[in-house]
Amino acid sequence: MTAQPKLVVEGVSKTFGRGDKQVNALADVHLHVGRGELVCMLGTSGCGKSTLLSIIGGLEQPTTGEIRVDDDLVIGPGADRGMVFQTYSLFPWATVYRNIEFGLELAKMPKARRAERVKELLGIMSLSEFADRLPRELSGGMRQRVAIARALAPEPDVLLLDEPFGSLDAQTKRAMQDFLLTVWQRTGATILMVTHDVDEAIYLSQRIYVLTPRPGRVTEVIAVPFGRSRGPSIKRDPRYLDLRDDLADLLIA
Amino acid sequence: MTSIEADVAFEAETTTVRSVSARGTRGRRQHPLAQIRSPLSIGWRAGLGVAGLMSLVLIWLIASSATNLVPSPVETWHAFTRLWRDGVFLDDVRASSQRIAIGYGISVALGIVFGIAIGTFASAEAFFEPQFGFLRYIPASALIPVMLLWLGIGESPKITMIVIGTVFFNSLMIADVARLVPRELLNASYTLGATRWTVLRRVVFRHSLPGIVDVARVNLAAAWVMLVVSEVLAANEGLAYRIVRAQRFRGFDTMFAVLITFGIIGLVSDLFLRWLRNALAPWAKP
Repeated sequence: MTAQPKLVVEGVSKTFGRGDKQVNALADVHLHVGRGELVCMLGTSGCGKSTLLSIIGGLEQPTTGEIRVDDDLVIGPGADRGMVFQTYSLFPWATVYRNIEFGLELAKMPKARRAERVKELLGIMSLSEFADRLPRELSGGMRQRVAIARALAPEPDVLLLDEPFGSLDAQTKRAMQDFLLTVWQRTGATILMVTHDVDEAIYLSQRIYVLTPRPGRVTEVIAVPFGRSRGPSIKRDPRYLDLRDDLADLLIA
Repeated sequence: MTSIEADVAFEAETTTVRSVSARGTRGRRQHPLAQIRSPLSIGWRAGLGVAGLMSLVLIWLIASSATNLVPSPVETWHAFTRLWRDGVFLDDVRASSQRIAIGYGISVALGIVFGIAIGTFASAEAFFEPQFGFLRYIPASALIPVMLLWLGIGESPKITMIVIGTVFFNSLMIADVARLVPRELLNASYTLGATRWTVLRRVVFRHSLPGIVDVARVNLAAAWVMLVVSEVLAANEGLAYRIVRAQRFRGFDTMFAVLITFGIIGLVSDLFLRWLRNALAPWAKP
């Protein structure tokens, strides 16, 4: 990890409502993601992890604290922080090609260069044959691949993934995890991912922030002892199994 | 509908389950014409549609033979050809259609602007929704005397009536359509670098387009009501004017010819708007 982290979350808290109905969704959260790192926020539902991701994306404002990307203060959403949601985020009227092209158009990239970039991403995502399909003609796994391609297209500083494989069946989910690892290794993207799946967090990330609910706070930061190039074989490694038990305990506690 | 439901519907329609070894039966068989929310074969659809129209004609035939206050289909056809020969029919259709096109066009355009604003911005919703909710319940036809005094008897009061009679419904219904745009689409656009204006044009409007055409289709009938009311009170040409004129001579055949013309124009514009919806938004086809 480089000395200067790409993304810094400093003392972020978030409160919804007022008075008796006040809910502390997040309390004094600190975290950072280094350049080219893949980090997971792991927590049960309701621990505020998706809220935190929205705040990092600039879609919500923190009650206190701040987010910085390359030392710039985040005050709203922008193409520098690409985001992938769990479902329903592809433009249903646009083909796969046009979906991926959207961010490049907004960045006013010339048409020829857009075509080049979209074709490259279609290749990386194994979607080349599906360029002219509409989202509704695709399977759930393919749709999420398009969503990832679309978020990666404008070359964001950070890629934020909000339980991107949460609605997929187990087999597709496993394939997509391997796929994400490949994309990460090939593109060197900086990725922060939210998940409630312990296996997913260990399998994919270099570090894991464990969040516990009411109020959502980081209770543990765990370094995953596997390198960048890893495969399904690590799932039988004793360290993997120990880590899995530890994390499961942390989530229940 | 899931494929399993489709299979069941298909089976119920085409096969009768038989068994040589079964003791009895379980469950309840459903008749294909009375299944809740299952599709009908094209043959049944067309057949029932034609039968419905025929029954309408039958009632008409019975009524016309019972009393001379109802013209027969043949008399009505003669009245129609008479109107056509006199050259007034096409002029009437053109005059009325033009009023609808201008008035309702303005109404839909305003409805899109207000509706998307109300459905998208909480501030616009807070400002416009209460007053539109109030104005909507003032029967627009009750404004006709006011409009005639304010705007005279030319085209402008008729067009204004069509706008007033439909714009509040269009706005509030289009607002509901705009509210259906999934938040994820807005958030995804923002994180791809979209400005609010881009989101409004390329996401909110785009997603609402098929719903807007549907709203326009539903409220078009109200536009014709307003047209008729204003033509009945003050006009020199137009389909409703033709009916009022026929009343002076007890011209039931002419009245019926015009009434049927209304129905046909309505049916054709309805089919056109359905087609337009699917052409503009093939992705939203049911």
